[in-house]
Amino acid sequence: MQEELKKIEAEALSELQAVANSADLEELRIKYFGRKGRLSTVMRGMGKLSAAERPVIGKLANEVRGNLTTAFEEVGEKLARQERENQLAMEAIDITLPGRRPQLGVKHPITQTLERIQQIFRGMGFHVADGPEIEHEYYNFDALNTPADHPARDLQDTLYITDEVLLRTHTSPVQVRFMEKHAPPVRIIVPGKAYRHDYDVSHTPTFHQVEGLLVDYHVTFSELKGVLHSFARQMFGDQTDMRFRPHFFPFTEPSAEVDISCTVCSGSGCRTCSGSGWLEILGAGAVDPNVFEYANYNPDEVTGFAFGMGVERIASIRYGIPDIRALYENDLRFLRQF
Amino acid sequence: MNVSINWLKEYIDFDLSPETLADRLLMLGVETESIKQLGEGLDGVVVGRINAVRNHPNANKLVLCDVDVGKSADVQIVCGAPNAREGLVAPVALVGAKLATSLKIEAAKIRAEESHGMLCSETELGIGEDTSGLMELSDDSPIGAPLAAALGLDDAVLELEITPNRPDCLSMIGIAREIGAETGNPVKLPSVHVKEGTANVQELTSVSIDAPELCPRYAARVIRGVTVAPSPKWLQRKLESIGVGAVNNVVDITNFVLMECGHPLHAFDYHKLAENRIVVRRAAPHETLTTIDKTERNLTSDMLVIADAEKPVALAGVMGGFDSEISDQTVDVLLESAHFHPPSIRKTSKALGMHTEASHRFERDADPEGVISAINRAAQLIAELAGGEIARGIVDVYPGRQTPVQVKLRPERVNFVLGTEISSDKMTEILTRLGFNVSSTFEVTVPTFRPDVSREIDLIEEIARVYGYDRIPTTMPTGDIPTAPSTAISELRERVRDYLVASEMMEAINYSFYDAQSLDRIRLETSDRARDALEIRNPLSEDMSIMRTTLIPSLLENAQRNRNYRVENIQLFEISRVFVPSGDSELPNEPERVSGVIAGNVGAGVHGDPYRAADFFDTKGIVEGLLNVCGISDYAIATTRHPVLHPGRNAAVSVNGESLGIFGEVHPEVLESYDLGYKAYLFELDFEVLAGAADLTRRVEPISIYPSVNRDLAIVVDAELPASSPVELIRSSGGALVKSVRLFDLYIGDQVPDGKKSLAYAIEYSSSTETLTDEQVDRVHEKIVKRLGAELGGELRS
Repeated sequence: MQEELKKIEAEALSELQAVANSADLEELRIKYFGRKGRLSTVMRGMGKLSAAERPVIGKLANEVRGNLTTAFEEVGEKLARQERENQLAMEAIDITLPGRRPQLGVKHPITQTLERIQQIFRGMGFHVADGPEIEHEYYNFDALNTPADHPARDLQDTLYITDEVLLRTHTSPVQVRFMEKHAPPVRIIVPGKAYRHDYDVSHTPTFHQVEGLLVDYHVTFSELKGVLHSFARQMFGDQTDMRFRPHFFPFTEPSAEVDISCTVCSGSGCRTCSGSGWLEILGAGAVDPNVFEYANYNPDEVTGFAFGMGVERIASIRYGIPDIRALYENDLRFLRQF
Repeated sequence: MNVSINWLKEYIDFDLSPETLADRLLMLGVETESIKQLGEGLDGVVVGRINAVRNHPNANKLVLCDVDVGKSADVQIVCGAPNAREGLVAPVALVGAKLATSLKIEAAKIRAEESHGMLCSETELGIGEDTSGLMELSDDSPIGAPLAAALGLDDAVLELEITPNRPDCLSMIGIAREIGAETGNPVKLPSVHVKEGTANVQELTSVSIDAPELCPRYAARVIRGVTVAPSPKWLQRKLESIGVGAVNNVVDITNFVLMECGHPLHAFDYHKLAENRIVVRRAAPHETLTTIDKTERNLTSDMLVIADAEKPVALAGVMGGFDSEISDQTVDVLLESAHFHPPSIRKTSKALGMHTEASHRFERDADPEGVISAINRAAQLIAELAGGEIARGIVDVYPGRQTPVQVKLRPERVNFVLGTEISSDKMTEILTRLGFNVSSTFEVTVPTFRPDVSREIDLIEEIARVYGYDRIPTTMPTGDIPTAPSTAISELRERVRDYLVASEMMEAINYSFYDAQSLDRIRLETSDRARDALEIRNPLSEDMSIMRTTLIPSLLENAQRNRNYRVENIQLFEISRVFVPSGDSELPNEPERVSGVIAGNVGAGVHGDPYRAADFFDTKGIVEGLLNVCGISDYAIATTRHPVLHPGRNAAVSVNGESLGIFGEVHPEVLESYDLGYKAYLFELDFEVLAGAADLTRRVEPISIYPSVNRDLAIVVDAELPASSPVELIRSSGGALVKSVRLFDLYIGDQVPDGKKSLAYAIEYSSSTETLTDEQVDRVHEKIVKRLGAELGGELRS
């Protein structure tokens, strides 16, 4: 019997080596461990053994059973692992098939640019204000120190509804409208549409501006430089250089046009900046005392600065758009690029 | 304003390249639009003299010239020009020269004779039109000198953009003064010596100003016995270099003085003036004047004219009259130098559509004190270049004399406004260089050529720009940040835009105007309020002539454009103001609209998610989702009538009884008028109404800890029955236990009788207080089924 057990163990282990799948393993398990299996059969013959033999054989039988159980489990695990691997291998897919992207829409590049501009100025404590797009001549010109029959009116080609009502040529009318209703200090930006009788690669008859106005008891020109410098670096990058040039606007004094170092060539001169190394991005200046008078502020008590930037211009620099009229064609092949 | 560098150097010393000069001027506020280098392509071209002409042994039409080009020996040049002759001084392109015509000159043999260069015509040099033969230079031209220098073409011309506040910069002397302010070099004014004759001007003419409010000053001189002829070459070239065409000596001199000092002058033929006198007056009604450009002008009484005893002879400050202009026959000249009221000149020039060098300066305000120096300078030059005798004295009528402007400057205020620490000495230096007189107590006298300066802030600007904006520090504001105004509307707008973008829609931005036919194309009835659109009085074109009252036409045009480019899935929205005339106020209302168009396909169009033709319910879903995002749950959707929409596939949305907008399928006739080859759907909502009903606050409801039970049911009902009826019934029968009802299938076809449809609903049951048992759910579910059958005739489908 002892020999029989050893033989069963050796045969079982050898057969186990040849098992290729879990079905065969189960069959083998029944062959040895089943009710009529070889191990069970031997165990059942234990009763015929002598009392002296029984503990010895019993111990051996338990040992064999234990060894075989462990061996079967090991093989079983190995087979299960293998079969899982085979299964997963069979499930492999062609990952080069296209993914199903969420069909997100896109905000218009003008909106995206406006949002960025607003975000930057909000960070500097500016609030958003607005005003009508169809405006009185008074707010668009007179109150901005631009009297009728002054050549400065020619700077802006105006679209008129009646003699006194026009499409605002800039967002600046909101300066006086806001100051009429609010006491200083004032710190606002005015994003919005404006209109001019202009149509070429860098002008559209409807366009967007962001006006800025800061008025307080002691505001300096140096602070205008600081705010715009900070804006330019956040908008166009930390390395952006800025240049203020004297200019003329009827409603600011001193007035400036503001350039940034070319975003394409960083200032060395290229086609985008016509070789100058600079790109004009906005007009600015200290609020003219006459404007304060119109707004019923006392120019001896307050100073301030204002600036106005063309959003299309900034978008065209930001995205490299050669003809800004493309922004108004709403060609989906264009819009999908943003 | 064009400025020649060589000419400019007559008034100020500087040693700057044209580019550097342009940069310096830019930082003073004068922008250079272009720099034109004169005499380009004249390198290697010199003045030559033909010393001998011999026949070419091998060619009839060619000659051999020995040409002195300023070197030790003459060079031989083969030439075919008919005017090649001994003694002729002509341009010679030396070997190695590359001409403007890109011809490169090389030593060559022409019919076996050596030729070391080329004698040139004007066209060959690219400096003139004459092709008849060699360009003939004056005999005293320096032989061997570069042609560019000999012709004054070694020059650059800056095209300057002068801002409208700076009439003083519309002249060479004005620009010289700007350079002087920066460099500190003094401005050299021309010295004027008028040699007057014996005749007294007061006996030859008189000036009467009938409209002193429009003409503060009028001065006249008379020069008799002039010879009108072409100007000397130097004067012609000077004017031509800055783009002013030469006419004759007298007219050229008035133009020269205009460019030199910025003061417009006019010369009359003295004998063409009735009674030889000047009357400055408003035009009489229906009066006409033929101006120098031979155009008859109809005048009105707000226009100022220069008249003689009978009729207008010039449009004051704008243009002279044709009949009294200087001609070859002119012998005696009346010279005008005046000052006119700027707004009047501007009105006249605008009304007649005439923009001239004179009107450009007068409407910006010329210098009333410059009148006399300008007339003297011109009289002197006329006497020098055209001969004649200057009558003694000036008729100078000056009813509008003004006292010089004085401004008190507070140096500490300068630094307060600029944020600088500029010394008061520096301020004085800057202002003095610009022509201001600064007293020790900082009383500043403004020169009369600076009409833009009348206040302290104007002086501060002068100091700032000459000191240099780049030297002003860069600091951050230190003041208080004001309290924020309400941001509710902009927050809602951002929320709506974010939602639409997340809903596969692309944002469009259109012009705020379109053509009047747009409203026909969307089939608006004549009585429709949206027909009441504001018209632009001076539109860019008919396409941009009325202000939008609805965004729909713009979006349909966008769809059309994309359709033309074969884009097959169009989902566009726009958030923008429209313009509605308002009865009681002058300005229109500007309500905001949220509109969208969906056309063609929706979906990703990839494997497993193919394109699907868009339909009504895509649009409805967008609108419902939008309302949900705005926190509006209490809204009504009902069929409506709107001409832009399909009569059977449209809806109106309202909130609290107020109309919010419409959506639906675009009417086939509208599709045709936009040439859209597929169906389109649109919506337009009034943002104001939306904002009025919106509620962005959210209160969290506790989530039930008990699981919900889902049951599906499908019923067959009449095809006519609105799909909303069973839902309402399910909700009312199920009461609080019905958590949600979702129509997951709609089926018409096989296995469903004609005139019927099958509706399948998924119902979610749950309770917030207990776990529902199957029995509890069954009881409610069966009740629902029973009532669907009894009240809607719905037959349960298995």
